[in-house]
Amino acid sequence: MLKVNKLTKHFGGLVAVNEVDLHIDSSEIVGLIGPNGAGKSTLFNLINGFLKPTSGEVFFEGMDITGFKAHDVSHLGIDQSFQASTLFQRLSVLDNVFIGYHMRYKTKYWKRLLRTPSALKEERAFRKDALEILTFMGLQKLRDEQAENLSHGHQKILGVCMALATKPKLLLLDEPVAGMSPTETETMIELIRKIQEKGLTIVVVEHDMKVIMSLCDRIVVLNYGRKLMEGSPNEVLKSDEVIEAYLGKAEI
Amino acid sequence: MTSPYKRIIGLTVLTFILAMVPLIVKSPYYMHLLIMVGMNAMLAMTFILMLRAGLISLGIAAFWGIGAYVSALLALRLDLSFWMAMPLSAIITGAVALCIGCVLVKNPGFGFIIETVVLGEIAVLAFAHLPLFGGYKGIVSIPPVDPIHIPFLFSIEFVSKTASYYLILFLFLLVAIGYSAFYSAWTGRAWLAIGLNPRLAESKGVNIYRYRLLAFVVGSAGAGLAGSFYAHYYGAIAPTTFNVFKTIYIHIFAILGGVGFPVLGPIIGAFIMILVPEVLRVAKEIEPIITGLLLILLVLFLPQGLLSLLSRRKKNARPVG
Ligand SMILES: Nc1ncnc2c1ncn2[C@@H]1O[C@H](COP(=O)(O)OP(=O)(O)O)[C@@H](O)[C@H]1O
Ligand SMILES: [Mg+2]
Repeated sequence: MLKVNKLTKHFGGLVAVNEVDLHIDSSEIVGLIGPNGAGKSTLFNLINGFLKPTSGEVFFEGMDITGFKAHDVSHLGIDQSFQASTLFQRLSVLDNVFIGYHMRYKTKYWKRLLRTPSALKEERAFRKDALEILTFMGLQKLRDEQAENLSHGHQKILGVCMALATKPKLLLLDEPVAGMSPTETETMIELIRKIQEKGLTIVVVEHDMKVIMSLCDRIVVLNYGRKLMEGSPNEVLKSDEVIEAYLGKAEI
Repeated sequence: MTSPYKRIIGLTVLTFILAMVPLIVKSPYYMHLLIMVGMNAMLAMTFILMLRAGLISLGIAAFWGIGAYVSALLALRLDLSFWMAMPLSAIITGAVALCIGCVLVKNPGFGFIIETVVLGEIAVLAFAHLPLFGGYKGIVSIPPVDPIHIPFLFSIEFVSKTASYYLILFLFLLVAIGYSAFYSAWTGRAWLAIGLNPRLAESKGVNIYRYRLLAFVVGSAGAGLAGSFYAHYYGAIAPTTFNVFKTIYIHIFAILGGVGFPVLGPIIGAFIMILVPEVLRVAKEIEPIITGLLLILLVLFLPQGLLSLLSRRKKNARPVG
Protein backbone atom coordinates (compact mmCIF):
# COMPACT_ATOMS: atom_id res chain seq x y z
CA MET A 1 0.00 0.00 0.00
CA LEU A 2 2.75 2.44 0.97
CA LYS A 3 6.25 2.10 -0.31
CA VAL A 4 9.11 4.42 0.58
CA ASN A 5 12.44 4.20 -1.26
CA LYS A 6 15.67 5.67 0.08
CA LEU A 7 13.84 8.64 1.53
CA THR A 8 16.18 11.36 2.76
CA LYS A 9 15.60 14.75 4.35
CA HIS A 10 18.29 17.29 5.18
CA PHE A 11 17.68 20.25 7.48
CA GLY A 12 20.72 22.36 6.71
CA GLY A 13 23.59 20.13 7.75
CA LEU A 14 21.40 17.78 9.78
CA VAL A 15 20.23 14.59 8.13
CA ALA A 16 16.90 14.00 9.88
CA VAL A 17 15.88 11.06 7.70
CA ASN A 18 18.58 9.09 5.94
CA GLU A 19 17.85 6.70 3.05
CA VAL A 20 14.93 5.04 4.76
CA ASP A 21 13.14 2.19 2.98
CA LEU A 22 9.72 1.24 4.21
CA HIS A 23 6.79 -0.76 2.98
CA ILE A 24 3.40 -1.02 4.58
CA ASP A 25 0.89 -3.65 3.50
CA SER A 26 -2.85 -3.22 3.51
CA SER A 27 -4.59 -3.62 6.93
CA GLU A 28 -1.33 -3.80 8.88
CA ILE A 29 -0.55 -1.94 12.05
CA VAL A 30 3.12 -1.05 11.95
CA GLY A 31 4.96 0.48 14.88
CA LEU A 32 7.63 3.10 14.27
CA ILE A 33 9.94 3.53 17.22
CA GLY A 34 13.20 5.23 17.99
CA PRO A 35 14.71 7.69 20.45
CA ASN A 36 13.70 11.35 20.42
CA GLY A 37 15.05 13.12 17.39
CA ALA A 38 15.37 9.88 15.43
CA GLY A 39 13.32 11.36 12.59
CA LYS A 40 9.98 9.65 13.12
CA SER A 41 7.83 12.78 12.89
CA THR A 42 9.92 13.99 9.97
CA LEU A 43 9.31 10.72 8.16
CA PHE A 44 5.55 11.17 8.67
CA ASN A 45 5.74 14.70 7.35
CA LEU A 46 7.58 13.50 4.25
CA ILE A 47 4.82 11.00 3.57
CA ASN A 48 1.88 13.33 4.20
CA GLY A 49 3.24 16.19 2.12
CA PHE A 50 4.16 18.72 4.80
CA LEU A 51 7.82 18.41 3.91
CA LYS A 52 9.47 17.83 0.58
CA PRO A 53 12.13 15.10 0.64
CA THR A 54 15.69 15.96 -0.31
CA SER A 55 15.81 12.70 -2.22
CA GLY A 56 14.01 9.39 -2.42
CA GLU A 57 10.50 8.38 -3.42
CA VAL A 58 7.12 7.75 -1.85
CA PHE A 59 4.57 5.49 -3.53
CA PHE A 60 0.99 5.16 -2.36
CA GLU A 61 -1.12 2.45 -3.96
CA GLY A 62 1.33 2.31 -6.80
CA MET A 63 1.25 6.04 -7.45
CA ASP A 64 4.32 8.21 -7.09
CA ILE A 65 3.29 10.87 -4.57
CA THR A 66 6.76 12.23 -3.83
CA GLY A 67 6.57 15.97 -3.18
CA PHE A 68 2.77 16.15 -3.43
CA LYS A 69 1.05 18.96 -1.53
CA ALA A 70 -0.54 18.06 1.81
CA HIS A 71 -4.11 18.59 0.61
CA ASP A 72 -3.53 16.37 -2.41
CA VAL A 73 -2.09 13.60 -0.25
CA SER A 74 -5.13 13.95 1.98
CA HIS A 75 -7.42 13.54 -1.05
CA LEU A 76 -5.62 10.34 -2.00
CA GLY A 77 -6.35 8.79 1.39
CA ILE A 78 -3.56 9.44 3.86
CA ASP A 79 -4.27 11.35 7.06
CA GLN A 80 -2.64 11.67 10.45
CA SER A 81 -3.05 12.73 14.01
CA PHE A 82 -0.25 14.93 15.23
CA GLN A 83 2.26 14.56 18.01
CA ALA A 84 1.16 17.80 19.67
CA SER A 85 -2.63 17.76 19.90
CA THR A 86 -3.29 19.94 16.90
CA LEU A 87 -6.89 21.09 16.73
CA PHE A 88 -8.94 24.10 15.73
CA GLN A 89 -9.01 25.32 19.31
CA ARG A 90 -11.84 27.81 18.97
CA LEU A 91 -14.22 25.54 17.07
CA SER A 92 -16.62 23.04 18.57
CA VAL A 93 -15.74 19.36 18.61
CA LEU A 94 -18.27 18.66 15.87
CA ASP A 95 -17.00 21.49 13.67
CA ASN A 96 -13.46 20.21 14.09
CA VAL A 97 -14.50 16.86 12.68
CA PHE A 98 -16.66 18.54 10.04
CA ILE A 99 -13.65 20.20 8.42
CA GLY A 100 -12.54 16.76 7.28
CA TYR A 101 -15.53 16.48 4.94
CA HIS A 102 -14.18 19.31 2.87
CA MET A 103 -13.13 17.29 -0.11
CA ARG A 104 -16.22 15.13 -0.38
CA TYR A 105 -18.74 17.75 -1.41
CA LYS A 106 -20.42 16.72 -4.63
CA THR A 107 -22.95 19.53 -5.08
CA LYS A 108 -21.95 22.44 -7.28
CA TYR A 109 -20.33 25.45 -5.67
CA TRP A 110 -23.15 27.92 -6.44
CA LYS A 111 -25.69 25.52 -5.00
CA ARG A 112 -23.80 25.49 -1.75
CA LEU A 113 -23.62 29.28 -1.73
CA LEU A 114 -27.38 29.54 -2.25
CA ARG A 115 -28.08 26.68 0.15
CA THR A 116 -30.31 24.78 -2.24
CA PRO A 117 -32.11 21.71 -0.85
CA SER A 118 -29.62 19.31 -2.41
CA ALA A 119 -26.70 21.16 -0.81
CA LEU A 120 -28.43 21.17 2.57
CA LYS A 121 -29.22 17.50 2.27
CA GLU A 122 -25.60 16.70 1.59
CA GLU A 123 -24.53 18.82 4.54
CA ARG A 124 -26.94 16.98 6.83
CA ALA A 125 -25.57 13.67 5.65
CA PHE A 126 -22.03 14.80 6.48
CA ARG A 127 -23.13 16.04 9.87
CA LYS A 128 -24.70 12.68 10.59
CA ASP A 129 -21.56 10.91 9.51
CA ALA A 130 -19.39 13.20 11.66
CA LEU A 131 -21.60 12.40 14.63
CA GLU A 132 -21.18 8.71 13.90
CA ILE A 133 -17.42 9.09 14.07
CA LEU A 134 -17.73 10.92 17.39
CA THR A 135 -20.01 8.18 18.71
CA PHE A 136 -17.62 5.50 17.48
CA MET A 137 -14.79 7.22 19.35
CA GLY A 138 -16.88 8.00 22.45
CA LEU A 139 -16.87 11.78 22.15
CA GLN A 140 -20.52 12.30 21.16
CA LYS A 141 -21.42 13.89 24.49
CA LEU A 142 -18.78 16.57 23.96
CA ARG A 143 -19.85 17.47 20.43
CA ASP A 144 -20.75 21.09 21.19
CA GLU A 145 -17.86 21.72 23.53
CA GLN A 146 -15.13 24.02 22.31
CA ALA A 147 -12.03 21.98 21.45
CA GLU A 148 -9.74 23.96 23.73
CA ASN A 149 -11.88 23.05 26.76
CA LEU A 150 -11.33 19.32 26.29
CA SER A 151 -9.00 17.32 28.54
CA HIS A 152 -5.67 16.34 27.04
CA GLY A 153 -6.84 12.77 26.50
CA HIS A 154 -10.00 13.86 24.75
CA GLN A 155 -8.07 16.30 22.59
CA LYS A 156 -5.88 13.44 21.39
CA ILE A 157 -8.95 11.36 20.61
CA LEU A 158 -10.47 14.29 18.76
CA GLY A 159 -7.29 14.50 16.68
CA VAL A 160 -7.90 10.91 15.58
CA CYS A 161 -11.61 11.64 14.91
CA MET A 162 -10.58 14.50 12.64
CA ALA A 163 -8.27 12.20 10.75
CA LEU A 164 -11.04 9.62 10.36
CA ALA A 165 -13.35 12.26 8.89
CA THR A 166 -11.30 12.39 5.70
CA LYS A 167 -11.90 8.62 5.33
CA PRO A 168 -8.23 7.76 4.98
CA LYS A 169 -6.99 4.38 3.85
CA LEU A 170 -3.69 4.93 5.62
CA LEU A 171 -3.67 6.51 9.08
CA LEU A 172 -0.48 7.86 10.60
CA LEU A 173 -0.61 8.28 14.37
CA ASP A 174 2.20 10.31 15.92
CA GLU A 175 2.49 9.49 19.64
CA PRO A 176 -1.26 9.03 20.17
CA VAL A 177 -1.00 8.30 23.91
CA ALA A 178 1.73 10.81 24.84
CA GLY A 179 0.86 12.45 28.14
CA MET A 180 -2.13 10.17 28.77
CA SER A 181 -3.00 8.45 32.04
CA PRO A 182 -2.93 4.61 32.08
CA THR A 183 -6.71 4.37 31.76
CA GLU A 184 -6.77 6.88 28.91
CA THR A 185 -4.00 4.87 27.26
CA GLU A 186 -6.10 1.69 27.54
CA THR A 187 -9.02 3.47 25.92
CA MET A 188 -6.84 4.71 23.08
CA ILE A 189 -5.40 1.24 22.45
CA GLU A 190 -8.95 -0.12 22.23
CA LEU A 191 -9.94 2.65 19.83
CA ILE A 192 -6.96 2.05 17.57
CA ARG A 193 -7.87 -1.65 17.45
CA LYS A 194 -11.45 -0.79 16.54
CA ILE A 195 -10.22 1.48 13.77
CA GLN A 196 -8.03 -1.28 12.35
CA GLU A 197 -10.98 -3.67 12.41
CA LYS A 198 -12.74 -1.25 10.05
CA GLY A 199 -10.02 -2.05 7.54
CA LEU A 200 -7.67 0.88 7.90
CA THR A 201 -3.93 0.55 7.63
CA ILE A 202 -2.13 2.21 10.53
CA VAL A 203 1.40 3.35 11.25
CA VAL A 204 1.89 4.35 14.86
CA VAL A 205 4.81 6.19 16.42
CA GLU A 206 4.96 5.62 20.15
CA HIS A 207 7.42 5.63 23.03
CA ASP A 208 5.13 3.57 25.24
CA MET A 209 6.28 0.04 24.44
CA LYS A 210 3.12 -1.45 25.97
CA VAL A 211 1.11 0.23 23.22
CA ILE A 212 3.47 -0.88 20.49
CA MET A 213 3.64 -4.46 21.79
CA SER A 214 -0.09 -4.84 22.16
CA LEU A 215 -1.01 -3.31 18.79
CA CYS A 216 1.64 -3.92 16.20
CA ASP A 217 2.32 -6.82 13.88
CA ARG A 218 5.62 -5.37 12.82
CA ILE A 219 8.03 -2.79 14.18
CA VAL A 220 10.44 -0.49 12.39
CA VAL A 221 13.23 1.07 14.45
CA LEU A 222 14.76 4.39 13.48
CA ASN A 223 17.93 5.82 14.97
CA TYR A 224 19.68 9.01 13.84
CA GLY A 225 17.48 9.07 10.77
CA ARG A 226 18.45 5.57 9.64
CA LYS A 227 16.47 2.41 9.75
CA LEU A 228 18.16 0.33 12.41
CA MET A 229 16.06 -2.79 12.05
CA GLU A 230 12.65 -4.14 11.27
CA GLY A 231 10.80 -7.21 12.48
CA SER A 232 8.19 -8.74 14.73
CA PRO A 233 7.87 -7.28 18.23
CA ASN A 234 9.75 -10.20 19.72
CA GLU A 235 12.64 -10.00 17.27
CA VAL A 236 12.99 -6.31 17.92
CA LEU A 237 12.86 -6.70 21.68
CA LYS A 238 15.64 -9.28 21.57
CA SER A 239 17.96 -7.29 19.33
CA ASP A 240 21.04 -5.99 21.15
CA GLU A 241 21.37 -3.08 18.77
CA VAL A 242 17.90 -1.87 19.55
CA ILE A 243 18.29 -2.28 23.26
CA GLU A 244 21.46 -0.29 23.10
CA ALA A 245 20.06 2.48 20.90
CA TYR A 246 16.65 2.85 22.32
CA LEU A 247 15.20 0.50 24.87
CA GLY A 248 18.02 1.12 27.29
CA LYS A 249 16.77 4.63 27.71
CA ALA A 250 13.06 4.07 27.64
CA GLU A 251 10.96 2.70 30.43
CA ILE A 252 9.53 -0.70 29.54
CA MET B 1 -20.63 28.68 13.80
CA THR B 2 -23.65 30.98 13.69
CA SER B 3 -26.52 29.20 11.99
CA PRO B 4 -27.59 30.68 8.65
CA TYR B 5 -31.10 31.27 9.98
CA LYS B 6 -29.82 33.43 12.82
CA ARG B 7 -27.83 35.32 10.20
CA ILE B 8 -30.91 35.95 8.07
CA ILE B 9 -32.97 37.12 11.04
CA GLY B 10 -30.12 39.31 12.25
CA LEU B 11 -29.72 40.93 8.84
CA THR B 12 -33.46 41.58 8.53
CA VAL B 13 -33.67 43.26 11.91
CA LEU B 14 -30.59 45.30 11.14
CA THR B 15 -32.04 46.43 7.81
CA PHE B 16 -35.22 47.62 9.47
CA ILE B 17 -33.39 49.61 12.11
CA LEU B 18 -31.00 51.19 9.63
CA ALA B 19 -33.84 52.02 7.22
CA MET B 20 -35.57 53.99 10.00
CA VAL B 21 -32.58 56.23 10.66
CA PRO B 22 -33.49 59.00 8.12
CA LEU B 23 -36.83 59.42 9.90
CA ILE B 24 -34.94 60.61 12.93
CA VAL B 25 -31.79 62.22 11.56
CA LYS B 26 -32.69 65.28 9.49
CA SER B 27 -29.44 67.23 9.33
CA PRO B 28 -27.73 66.74 5.93
CA TYR B 29 -24.37 66.98 7.67
CA TYR B 30 -25.11 64.08 9.98
CA MET B 31 -26.61 62.16 7.08
CA HIS B 32 -23.33 62.66 5.27
CA LEU B 33 -21.44 61.27 8.26
CA LEU B 34 -23.74 58.26 8.35
CA ILE B 35 -23.14 57.68 4.64
CA MET B 36 -19.42 57.68 5.39
CA VAL B 37 -20.06 55.22 8.22
CA GLY B 38 -21.82 52.92 5.74
CA MET B 39 -19.07 53.07 3.18
CA ASN B 40 -16.30 52.57 5.73
CA ALA B 41 -18.21 49.72 7.33
CA MET B 42 -18.27 48.08 3.90
CA LEU B 43 -14.50 48.39 3.70
CA ALA B 44 -14.10 47.04 7.22
CA MET B 45 -16.25 44.07 6.23
CA THR B 46 -13.78 43.22 3.46
CA PHE B 47 -10.95 43.35 6.00
CA ILE B 48 -12.73 40.86 8.25
CA LEU B 49 -13.42 38.53 5.36
CA MET B 50 -9.76 38.40 4.37
CA LEU B 51 -8.68 38.14 8.01
CA ARG B 52 -10.82 35.03 8.37
CA ALA B 53 -8.60 33.34 5.82
CA GLY B 54 -5.51 34.56 7.66
CA LEU B 55 -4.74 37.43 5.28
CA ILE B 56 -3.96 40.82 6.79
CA SER B 57 -4.12 43.11 3.79
CA LEU B 58 -2.79 46.65 4.02
CA GLY B 59 -3.85 47.18 0.43
CA ILE B 60 -7.60 47.53 0.98
CA ALA B 61 -7.54 51.26 0.28
CA ALA B 62 -5.67 50.60 -2.96
CA PHE B 63 -8.46 48.33 -4.19
CA TRP B 64 -11.01 50.82 -2.97
CA GLY B 65 -9.12 53.32 -5.14
CA ILE B 66 -9.02 50.99 -8.12
CA GLY B 67 -12.79 50.64 -7.88
CA ALA B 68 -13.20 54.42 -7.64
CA TYR B 69 -10.90 55.21 -10.58
CA VAL B 70 -12.30 52.45 -12.79
CA SER B 71 -15.85 53.54 -12.11
CA ALA B 72 -15.05 57.20 -12.73
CA LEU B 73 -13.30 56.40 -16.00
CA LEU B 74 -16.07 54.08 -17.16
CA ALA B 75 -18.57 56.88 -16.56
CA LEU B 76 -16.49 59.68 -18.06
CA ARG B 77 -14.79 57.94 -20.99
CA LEU B 78 -17.33 55.33 -21.93
CA ASP B 79 -20.42 57.23 -20.83
CA LEU B 80 -21.68 54.31 -18.77
CA SER B 81 -24.31 54.98 -16.14
CA PHE B 82 -23.50 54.40 -12.50
CA TRP B 83 -25.61 51.27 -12.56
CA MET B 84 -23.35 49.78 -15.20
CA ALA B 85 -20.08 51.24 -13.95
CA MET B 86 -20.61 50.04 -10.37
CA PRO B 87 -20.85 46.29 -10.98
CA LEU B 88 -18.20 46.50 -13.69
CA SER B 89 -15.76 48.28 -11.42
CA ALA B 90 -16.29 45.64 -8.72
CA ILE B 91 -15.62 42.91 -11.28
CA ILE B 92 -12.55 44.66 -12.68
CA THR B 93 -11.20 45.28 -9.16
CA GLY B 94 -11.73 41.59 -8.41
CA ALA B 95 -9.89 40.66 -11.61
CA VAL B 96 -6.95 42.88 -10.68
CA ALA B 97 -6.92 41.25 -7.24
CA LEU B 98 -6.90 37.84 -8.92
CA CYS B 99 -3.80 38.69 -10.97
CA ILE B 100 -1.92 40.22 -8.05
CA GLY B 101 -3.21 37.73 -5.49
CA CYS B 102 -1.94 34.76 -7.52
CA VAL B 103 1.56 35.79 -6.49
CA LEU B 104 1.02 37.50 -3.12
CA VAL B 105 -1.20 34.91 -1.49
CA LYS B 106 1.48 32.22 -1.88
CA ASN B 107 3.34 33.48 1.18
CA PRO B 108 0.88 34.86 3.68
CA GLY B 109 1.97 36.19 7.05
CA PHE B 110 4.47 38.97 7.52
CA GLY B 111 5.62 38.93 3.92
CA PHE B 112 2.07 39.38 2.70
CA ILE B 113 1.54 42.38 4.99
CA ILE B 114 4.64 44.12 3.66
CA GLU B 115 3.80 43.25 0.07
CA THR B 116 0.35 44.77 0.39
CA VAL B 117 1.87 47.95 1.86
CA VAL B 118 4.13 48.19 -1.17
CA LEU B 119 1.20 47.42 -3.43
CA GLY B 120 -0.81 50.19 -1.78
CA GLU B 121 1.96 52.71 -2.31
CA ILE B 122 2.50 51.64 -5.92
CA ALA B 123 -1.22 52.09 -6.56
CA VAL B 124 -1.15 55.63 -5.15
CA LEU B 125 1.93 56.45 -7.28
CA ALA B 126 0.25 54.99 -10.34
CA PHE B 127 -2.90 57.05 -9.74
CA ALA B 128 -0.73 60.14 -9.32
CA HIS B 129 1.58 59.69 -12.29
CA LEU B 130 -0.30 57.98 -15.07
CA PRO B 131 -1.98 60.60 -17.27
CA LEU B 132 -5.06 58.38 -17.57
CA PHE B 133 -5.76 58.91 -13.87
CA GLY B 134 -5.40 62.69 -13.94
CA GLY B 135 -2.21 63.09 -11.89
CA TYR B 136 -2.09 64.42 -8.36
CA LYS B 137 -5.22 66.49 -8.92
CA GLY B 138 -7.12 63.29 -9.61
CA ILE B 139 -10.38 63.13 -11.50
CA VAL B 140 -13.10 65.72 -11.09
CA SER B 141 -16.68 66.17 -12.27
CA ILE B 142 -17.52 62.50 -12.02
CA PRO B 143 -21.21 62.22 -12.85
CA PRO B 144 -23.44 61.65 -9.81
CA VAL B 145 -25.45 58.48 -9.40
CA ASP B 146 -27.94 58.32 -12.24
CA PRO B 147 -31.62 58.48 -11.33
CA ILE B 148 -33.71 55.34 -11.65
CA HIS B 149 -36.79 55.83 -13.83
CA ILE B 150 -39.62 53.44 -13.42
CA PRO B 151 -41.91 54.19 -16.37
CA PHE B 152 -45.37 55.59 -15.53
CA LEU B 153 -44.76 55.24 -11.80
CA PHE B 154 -41.99 57.29 -10.31
CA SER B 155 -38.30 57.98 -10.51
CA ILE B 156 -35.67 58.03 -7.81
CA GLU B 157 -33.14 60.82 -7.89
CA PHE B 158 -29.94 60.55 -5.93
CA VAL B 159 -29.59 64.21 -5.09
CA SER B 160 -30.56 64.34 -1.43
CA LYS B 161 -28.40 62.87 1.30
CA THR B 162 -31.28 60.65 2.31
CA ALA B 163 -31.35 59.02 -1.12
CA SER B 164 -27.59 58.46 -0.99
CA TYR B 165 -28.00 57.01 2.48
CA TYR B 166 -30.47 54.45 1.17
CA LEU B 167 -28.14 53.70 -1.73
CA ILE B 168 -25.17 52.99 0.54
CA LEU B 169 -27.45 50.99 2.83
CA PHE B 170 -28.50 48.93 -0.18
CA LEU B 171 -24.90 48.37 -1.27
CA PHE B 172 -23.82 47.56 2.27
CA LEU B 173 -26.53 44.96 2.60
CA LEU B 174 -25.72 43.55 -0.82
CA VAL B 175 -22.13 42.95 0.25
CA ALA B 176 -23.21 41.77 3.72
CA ILE B 177 -25.59 39.21 2.24
CA GLY B 178 -23.04 38.10 -0.32
CA TYR B 179 -20.35 37.66 2.31
CA SER B 180 -22.76 35.94 4.69
CA ALA B 181 -23.56 33.44 1.97
CA PHE B 182 -19.87 32.64 1.79
CA TYR B 183 -19.61 32.40 5.56
CA SER B 184 -22.60 30.08 5.87
CA ALA B 185 -21.54 27.87 3.02
CA TRP B 186 -18.61 25.56 3.13
CA THR B 187 -16.24 28.38 2.18
CA GLY B 188 -16.67 30.15 5.51
CA ARG B 189 -15.74 27.02 7.39
CA ALA B 190 -12.67 26.51 5.22
CA TRP B 191 -11.60 30.16 5.71
CA LEU B 192 -12.06 29.87 9.43
CA ALA B 193 -10.02 26.67 9.52
CA ILE B 194 -7.25 28.27 7.47
CA GLY B 195 -7.24 31.34 9.70
CA LEU B 196 -7.04 29.23 12.86
CA ASN B 197 -4.46 26.69 11.71
CA PRO B 198 -3.44 26.64 8.05
CA ARG B 199 -1.32 23.50 8.23
CA LEU B 200 -4.01 21.51 9.95
CA ALA B 201 -6.58 22.75 7.43
CA GLU B 202 -4.28 21.67 4.62
CA SER B 203 -3.86 18.23 6.12
CA LYS B 204 -7.64 17.88 6.13
CA GLY B 205 -7.72 18.42 2.41
CA VAL B 206 -8.34 22.16 2.22
CA ASN B 207 -6.48 23.79 -0.66
CA ILE B 208 -5.29 26.79 1.32
CA TYR B 209 -3.87 28.63 -1.66
CA ARG B 210 -7.12 28.55 -3.59
CA TYR B 211 -9.26 29.55 -0.61
CA ARG B 212 -6.94 32.40 0.33
CA LEU B 213 -7.00 33.65 -3.25
CA LEU B 214 -10.79 33.49 -3.21
CA ALA B 215 -10.89 35.55 -0.01
CA PHE B 216 -8.51 38.10 -1.52
CA VAL B 217 -10.57 38.43 -4.70
CA VAL B 218 -13.97 38.55 -2.99
CA GLY B 219 -12.67 40.99 -0.35
CA SER B 220 -11.04 43.28 -2.92
CA ALA B 221 -14.11 43.25 -5.17
CA GLY B 222 -16.17 44.45 -2.19
CA ALA B 223 -13.67 47.28 -1.65
CA GLY B 224 -13.95 48.13 -5.35
CA LEU B 225 -17.72 48.40 -5.04
CA ALA B 226 -17.31 50.83 -2.15
CA GLY B 227 -14.86 52.78 -4.31
CA SER B 228 -17.37 53.11 -7.10
CA PHE B 229 -19.94 54.54 -4.71
CA TYR B 230 -17.36 56.91 -3.27
CA ALA B 231 -16.36 58.28 -6.68
CA HIS B 232 -19.91 59.05 -7.77
CA TYR B 233 -21.02 60.30 -4.37
CA TYR B 234 -18.13 62.77 -4.03
CA GLY B 235 -17.83 63.62 -7.71
CA ALA B 236 -14.05 63.92 -7.37
CA ILE B 237 -11.21 61.61 -6.37
CA ALA B 238 -7.53 62.20 -5.67
CA PRO B 239 -4.72 59.66 -5.33
CA THR B 240 -3.64 60.25 -1.72
CA THR B 241 -7.10 59.38 -0.41
CA PHE B 242 -6.30 55.76 -1.11
CA ASN B 243 -3.05 55.40 0.83
CA VAL B 244 -2.02 52.91 3.48
CA PHE B 245 -3.14 55.10 6.39
CA LYS B 246 -6.68 54.80 5.13
CA THR B 247 -6.32 51.02 5.32
CA ILE B 248 -5.08 51.27 8.89
CA TYR B 249 -8.24 53.17 9.75
CA ILE B 250 -10.27 50.45 8.05
CA HIS B 251 -8.53 47.88 10.26
CA ILE B 252 -9.31 49.99 13.32
CA PHE B 253 -13.01 50.19 12.44
CA ALA B 254 -13.17 46.42 12.24
CA ILE B 255 -11.10 45.71 15.33
CA LEU B 256 -12.98 48.28 17.40
CA GLY B 257 -16.35 46.70 16.62
CA GLY B 258 -14.93 43.20 16.93
CA VAL B 259 -13.66 41.06 14.08
CA GLY B 260 -15.79 38.18 15.32
CA PHE B 261 -18.87 40.10 14.17
CA PRO B 262 -18.47 40.34 10.41
CA VAL B 263 -21.47 42.61 9.72
CA LEU B 264 -22.38 44.43 12.93
CA GLY B 265 -18.78 44.94 14.07
CA PRO B 266 -17.81 47.17 11.13
CA ILE B 267 -20.96 49.29 11.55
CA ILE B 268 -20.33 49.87 15.25
CA GLY B 269 -16.61 50.44 14.76
CA ALA B 270 -17.02 52.90 11.87
CA PHE B 271 -19.90 54.65 13.64
CA ILE B 272 -17.84 55.29 16.75
CA MET B 273 -14.65 56.23 14.95
CA ILE B 274 -16.42 58.66 12.64
CA LEU B 275 -18.85 60.16 15.13
CA VAL B 276 -16.74 60.34 18.27
CA PRO B 277 -14.32 62.84 16.72
CA GLU B 278 -17.33 64.92 15.69
CA VAL B 279 -18.70 64.88 19.20
CA LEU B 280 -15.28 65.76 20.54
CA ARG B 281 -14.98 68.66 18.10
CA VAL B 282 -14.89 71.12 20.97
CA ALA B 283 -11.30 70.10 21.44
CA LYS B 284 -10.14 69.74 17.86
CA GLU B 285 -6.42 69.79 18.66
CA ILE B 286 -6.52 67.03 21.23
CA GLU B 287 -9.11 64.94 19.40
CA PRO B 288 -6.55 62.56 17.83
CA ILE B 289 -5.00 62.05 21.26
CA ILE B 290 -8.31 61.16 22.83
CA THR B 291 -9.24 58.87 19.97
CA GLY B 292 -5.82 57.25 20.21
CA LEU B 293 -6.14 56.75 23.96
CA LEU B 294 -9.56 55.19 23.54
CA LEU B 295 -8.11 52.78 21.04
CA ILE B 296 -5.20 51.77 23.25
CA LEU B 297 -7.54 51.18 26.19
CA LEU B 298 -9.75 49.12 23.94
CA VAL B 299 -6.98 46.91 22.62
CA LEU B 300 -5.75 46.37 26.19
CA PHE B 301 -9.05 45.58 27.82
CA LEU B 302 -11.31 44.43 25.02
CA PRO B 303 -9.11 42.80 22.41
CA GLN B 304 -12.14 41.07 20.86
CA GLY B 305 -13.83 44.40 20.20
CA LEU B 306 -16.77 46.24 21.70
CA LEU B 307 -19.35 43.70 20.64
CA SER B 308 -17.61 41.00 22.66
CA LEU B 309 -19.15 42.72 25.70
CA LEU B 310 -22.52 41.42 24.57
CA SER B 311 -21.54 37.83 24.01
CA ARG B 312 -19.40 37.62 27.12
CA ARG B 313 -22.35 37.11 29.34
CA LYS B 314 -23.52 34.11 27.38
CA LYS B 315 -21.75 30.97 28.48
CA ASN B 316 -19.42 29.55 25.89
CA ALA B 317 -20.28 32.32 23.49
CA ARG B 318 -18.08 32.09 20.45
CA PRO B 319 -17.76 35.23 18.41
CA VAL B 320 -16.68 33.30 15.37
CA GLY B 321 -18.39 32.08 12.21
N1 LIG C 1 11.50 21.78 10.57
C1 LIG C 1 12.71 21.40 11.04
N2 LIG C 1 13.79 22.17 10.84
C2 LIG C 1 15.01 21.79 11.29
N3 LIG C 1 15.24 20.66 11.95
C3 LIG C 1 14.20 19.83 12.19
C4 LIG C 1 12.89 20.16 11.75
N4 LIG C 1 12.03 19.17 12.12
C5 LIG C 1 12.80 18.28 12.77
N5 LIG C 1 14.09 18.66 12.82
C6 LIG C 1 15.21 17.90 13.39
O1 LIG C 1 15.19 16.65 12.80
C7 LIG C 1 15.49 15.64 13.74
C8 LIG C 1 14.36 14.63 13.77
O2 LIG C 1 13.23 15.20 14.39
P1 LIG C 1 11.84 14.45 14.53
O3 LIG C 1 11.48 13.87 13.23
O4 LIG C 1 10.88 15.38 15.14
O5 LIG C 1 12.21 13.31 15.57
P2 LIG C 1 11.25 12.34 16.36
O6 LIG C 1 9.83 12.59 15.94
O7 LIG C 1 11.74 10.99 16.01
O8 LIG C 1 11.47 12.63 17.80
C9 LIG C 1 15.69 16.33 15.07
O9 LIG C 1 17.07 16.49 15.28
C10 LIG C 1 15.03 17.66 14.88
O10 LIG C 1 15.67 18.65 15.64
MG1 LIG D 1 8.24 13.21 17.00
